Amino acid sequence: MPIPELLQQQNPDGGWSYRRGGSWTEPTVYAVLALAGAGDSAAAERGLQWIRAAQRDDGGWQARPGVGESCWVTSLAALLPAQRLGEERHRRATAWLSATTGMESSVLYRVRQWMMGGQTSSQTTAPGWPWVPGSAAWVIPTSLGILALDRENRLRPVPGLASRIDAGRRFLFNRMCKGGGWNHGSTRALGYESGAYPETTGMALAALRGCHGWQTDQSLAVALRFLDQCRTADALNWLRLGLAAQGRMPEGYRAPPGIAYRTVPEVATSVLADGAVAGKSVFWI
Amino acid sequence: MTRRDWLTGSAAALVATGCARPVHLTQSEATIVRAPAYDQSLYDIVRRLVASQGAAARGRAVVIKPNLVEFEPESAINTHPLLVHAACEAFRALGASQVTIAEGPGHRRDTLDLAEAAGYFQTIPGFEDCFVDLNLDEVTLVDLPRRFSKLKRVYLPNTVLGAALVVSMPKMKTHHWTGATLSMKNLFGVVPGGVYGWPKNVLHWAGIHESIADLHTVFPRQFTLVDGIVGMEGNGPIQGVSKPMGVLVAGTDPLAVDATCCRLMRIDPTRIGYLRLVAGDPAVFAESNVRQTGEPIAALARPFALIPQFRALRLESGA
Repeated sequence: MPIPELLQQQNPDGGWSYRRGGSWTEPTVYAVLALAGAGDSAAAERGLQWIRAAQRDDGGWQARPGVGESCWVTSLAALLPAQRLGEERHRRATAWLSATTGMESSVLYRVRQWMMGGQTSSQTTAPGWPWVPGSAAWVIPTSLGILALDRENRLRPVPGLASRIDAGRRFLFNRMCKGGGWNHGSTRALGYESGAYPETTGMALAALRGCHGWQTDQSLAVALRFLDQCRTADALNWLRLGLAAQGRMPEGYRAPPGIAYRTVPEVATSVLADGAVAGKSVFWI
Repeated sequence: MTRRDWLTGSAAALVATGCARPVHLTQSEATIVRAPAYDQSLYDIVRRLVASQGAAARGRAVVIKPNLVEFEPESAINTHPLLVHAACEAFRALGASQVTIAEGPGHRRDTLDLAEAAGYFQTIPGFEDCFVDLNLDEVTLVDLPRRFSKLKRVYLPNTVLGAALVVSMPKMKTHHWTGATLSMKNLFGVVPGGVYGWPKNVLHWAGIHESIADLHTVFPRQFTLVDGIVGMEGNGPIQGVSKPMGVLVAGTDPLAVDATCCRLMRIDPTRIGYLRLVAGDPAVFAESNVRQTGEPIAALARPFALIPQFRALRLESGA
């Protein structure tokens, strides 16, 4: 019963917490996307009002009110339809996203690396998205950035958007784990291989919708293996979304028993994954 | 001279001319006890170890901060839930008004699933009711009392800031960026992922050793109880292998406890960057300057395997 559960958890200010307490941007956007898709306009509109009011002057969103910096959750807000969020708000969100990259691909960092005698890694040449400005790019914020910009680019192409999306996808391919799938970002640490995670693998596959080749094939095989052993709601939701995006969700799949949906994003994303598997996704067009 | 040598030398000269500000500590105590297994005997051992904390805990809110990292209960990656439960029971017996278990993992976002996989739900009755995910807690922007990194302020969770006593319960592990991860590094877990992301990469960009030292200045005194019953050696803190040690190490000064753990691991604490930063002078945590109680280090020390990049950390003799 995910929709009644979401309705019950809405805060008086119109937003949602992760589990309890004050409203945060991430759970609020996921809840609004899920409720809007299910046809509940009143609660979704109150959530939208919270989101609109929380937009910062620079066009981005902070993780929660009081944290004075726009960050990765801007990608989520930009997944909301422009006509619901507001055309101008949506345009500014897209502009903030387009201009934000991980520090490792900045000119300043690359010059510093050169001065320190370091090599420029292929992992730093394609700009992804960071969790917060001033730090490196990682797989989750990059995947969400691509999903938001790709959706916008298909609806209203703007010069430069396609190349930013392509760069983000190159970032993901550069960060793919040996054997396929994605960790949260670094494929190796001090010479040791990092293993793939299910939720990041699903998320990256969703962002790579329409991309075909050996890397995608290898990662799809990893995702299908993860799906059979899935233990968490976050992993299950994003594996379903990633496989649906690639047209590879197994027919008649039944989730393992006992998976707990403990947070608002987990409950809401399960609704969005159901929609994507049925052919209706808010993440892509 | 390479560009790297020149820049490193310049930085060292700046430090030498007074940018580094040492913290002077008085002699502190670290207690080592034998704890051969994760079994019922832990409840009595831990009760005796925390007995000195009665005044700090009685009638007050205690927050226990274990180290939860990955979904691998069979490995030595997470603080063992039985030890955490023993600590909860011990502080309740001391009269704490509230005992909360709180953690904010650095890599995985689904903290409760991680705790379930690590055995916390099965081992600790009512776990979900007494647990706070620090990644998603209410936060306050805190000015750092003393700055070692470029960070001036950091958002920290109200659950930890509001505690009368923070109990850091790290796992005794090697760490592929810092050499060793013990009570001070365990404080990375109080930095909220909901604000900074997963991993908390802002801390890496500010300098890992420097950020650890920054966080120590916010929580200079805490009760530390290190899970060294089975530690992790090699490529820790995630991909290493189990290292049975059969010890618990406790104390109220994280510097003394961490230095003692390093000696048990046969790692030279004077070569761990964040310990040097916090102390200012390695003499502060020289073995002769830490009052050692319980078992002697020499009786229980066993060398932890080190990855090649950290072989220089090996403690060859007493230090």
